[in-house]
Amino acid sequence: MMRAPENGCPSIPLLRRHIGQLWLQPMLRKTFLPAIFLLLAYGFAVSADFKTITAGVAIFLFGMLSLEEGFKTFTAGTLEKILKASTNSLLKSMTFGVVATSIMQSSSLVSVITISFLSAGLLELASGIGIIFGANLGTTTGAWLVAGFGLKVNLSAYAMPMLVFGIILVFQRAKSLKGAGYVLAGLGFLFLGIHYMKDGFDSFGQTIDLAEYTMTGYAGVVVFAGIGAAATVVMQSSHAMLVLILAALATHQISYENALALAIGSNVGTTVTAIIGSLGASADGKRLALAHLVFNVVTGLLAIVGIYELMVAVEWISARLGIAADNYTLQLAVFHSLFNLIGIVVMLPLLGLLVRFVEKLIVSEQVEIERPIYLSGASIEIRDAAVESVKKESIRLYDLAAGVIADGLSIQRDALETEEKLKHVLRKSTDVIDEDIDDLYERKLKALYGAIVEYVIQSRGGYAEGRMKEELNSLRQAGQHVIEAVKGVKHLRKNLTRSLRSDDSTVKKEYDRLRKLILKVLRDIDVVRTADVGSRSVLPFDRLKLDIEEKTRQFSEGLDMLIRKGSIDVHTATSLMNDISYCKETCWDLVEAGSVLFSESDPDEKDAIQSIALGEREIIEMMDNADEGAAR
Amino acid sequence: MKIQKLLDKLKDILSADRHAQLEKYKSLKKVLKSLRVEKKGLEKELSDTIDAEKQQEISSRLKIISMQRKKGLKLLRELKEDRKRNK
Repeated sequence: MMRAPENGCPSIPLLRRHIGQLWLQPMLRKTFLPAIFLLLAYGFAVSADFKTITAGVAIFLFGMLSLEEGFKTFTAGTLEKILKASTNSLLKSMTFGVVATSIMQSSSLVSVITISFLSAGLLELASGIGIIFGANLGTTTGAWLVAGFGLKVNLSAYAMPMLVFGIILVFQRAKSLKGAGYVLAGLGFLFLGIHYMKDGFDSFGQTIDLAEYTMTGYAGVVVFAGIGAAATVVMQSSHAMLVLILAALATHQISYENALALAIGSNVGTTVTAIIGSLGASADGKRLALAHLVFNVVTGLLAIVGIYELMVAVEWISARLGIAADNYTLQLAVFHSLFNLIGIVVMLPLLGLLVRFVEKLIVSEQVEIERPIYLSGASIEIRDAAVESVKKESIRLYDLAAGVIADGLSIQRDALETEEKLKHVLRKSTDVIDEDIDDLYERKLKALYGAIVEYVIQSRGGYAEGRMKEELNSLRQAGQHVIEAVKGVKHLRKNLTRSLRSDDSTVKKEYDRLRKLILKVLRDIDVVRTADVGSRSVLPFDRLKLDIEEKTRQFSEGLDMLIRKGSIDVHTATSLMNDISYCKETCWDLVEAGSVLFSESDPDEKDAIQSIALGEREIIEMMDNADEGAAR
Repeated sequence: MKIQKLLDKLKDILSADRHAQLEKYKSLKKVLKSLRVEKKGLEKELSDTIDAEKQQEISSRLKIISMQRKKGLKLLRELKEDRKRNK
């Protein structure tokens, strides 16, 4: 069966999104994770110290997650108010980025909040980029804290009480206490992670000397920058990577020069994770991620090219700040701040250019509203063409609705057109299809139906009379049935989705019956639709009506039985009763629409056929008579 | 008697309402006839088939056709009576 295309040609951004979702993500999922697991397993088998270091990284990352969770508790109120008030100028945005990231010690959390504000239209892209610039500088405070404080003090001594108090607070009901608990526990885990990383490198240094692998010159800078970027992508945190670099540097496992290169690479690597994360975000979110990448790549390139000049500058600044010449960890912190500051100074005048560049590269996905393709001003002037146009557009509406209904029932759309047995289709359709049905209804169906109604009213008011008027009215009525059918599925979907996600096989089975019936009706309508013209009368639809009545009656009787047996609770039973009713209405609406849209008969016989087609009351009467006969 | 019949036919031709009524009567009769043929075919198919599922399907189709024919025959009678009354 040929279906009308749902949209025109897919837009380029849409294609990009599909490529991202269909190709990149599964590829990463399939190869990246197993490779990392294998590498880690090999490392664990070879070295106990490696185990301690990676456990330290894992605990540190867990601490960051906990910290993010804690800050999220407060974001709904205070932080949002602060963000609104402090982002109305570029300087304010940047300051906000620096301060927020310094407090939260997570540039990713700040980025997420910024993206959510951008998506909500509460923030300009330029302000968003300003925050990201500031966040890049703010994240360097982590290096200062760890280098100046973390590596000299026994952090685990602070970590333990923080964890205990934090976890006690996490179990509290009050939202603010819970949030504070997450923050405290997060800090505890961060400290504990740093402690393990430091311990691991301490004992690691006694057995293997990584310093032997030191590379000098620009080749070394490039190689170590690459390693830094790759490691940050794996850890999903530049902060954790920086702590790792500092711990390795403090124990002289890596040279100062290579540590600087690792820090540069880490700064670039952190944006890759943001880009992967933004694949599902809005256009502005993607733009922000791209601007982040451009900023960090430019900053990284500047740092690589001028690394030796920067080292001299760091030496000079360190001397002014009273940092000892051999205190490389604090010098790394100076370097980290310095090259990010240079990046900001260079990129700030180019901000307007950067905004235009990312806006040009990532085009906003327009909200696609389905437009009529057969209803034109020209056809409305021609009497015969008008009915035909409305019919074609109504059939298109039906096809679009059938797709939305399949989505609503979490059944693949292909299942409507194949001859695969229904029970096989249902067996395969156990996952919820995560489509926004309300959005599809608004964009694809409501606008199209509105256009049909408008067209019918215009032609009816103008010249349509007699048979033509009747035909236009019945087509409009068919459109109404299509819309009602989708609305029925929208109601049904709530509990259906819940049943698909639950482990209750009884409820699942009941909802599968409802899905099966609707799918069967759609397929049976297609059978009539594709039959020879001679067999496409309205009468075969009566058989479908009988089928619907019989099946829904069986569902209700089956439900009574389940309640009697106690296999189903009353609350679920009530929901099912309502849903059986929605299912029945949906099926009836589909049949009513199908009987208008797909029946063809000799014009002379059309009235006669319609006069003997059965209505709902007659079908019920027929079934009652059959039941009485069986009882006797 | 023959003259009466001829007059009726003339009325059918000259009166638009009667003409439409006659067309409706004829088309209904034609549809009922095709349903009767379909019913007979299905009855034969039912006696030939041994598949229970198929039997059930044919039975339900037969039930529907019987109901449609019953409704159609009632309409046909009403149309006939109307025509008699309008003579």
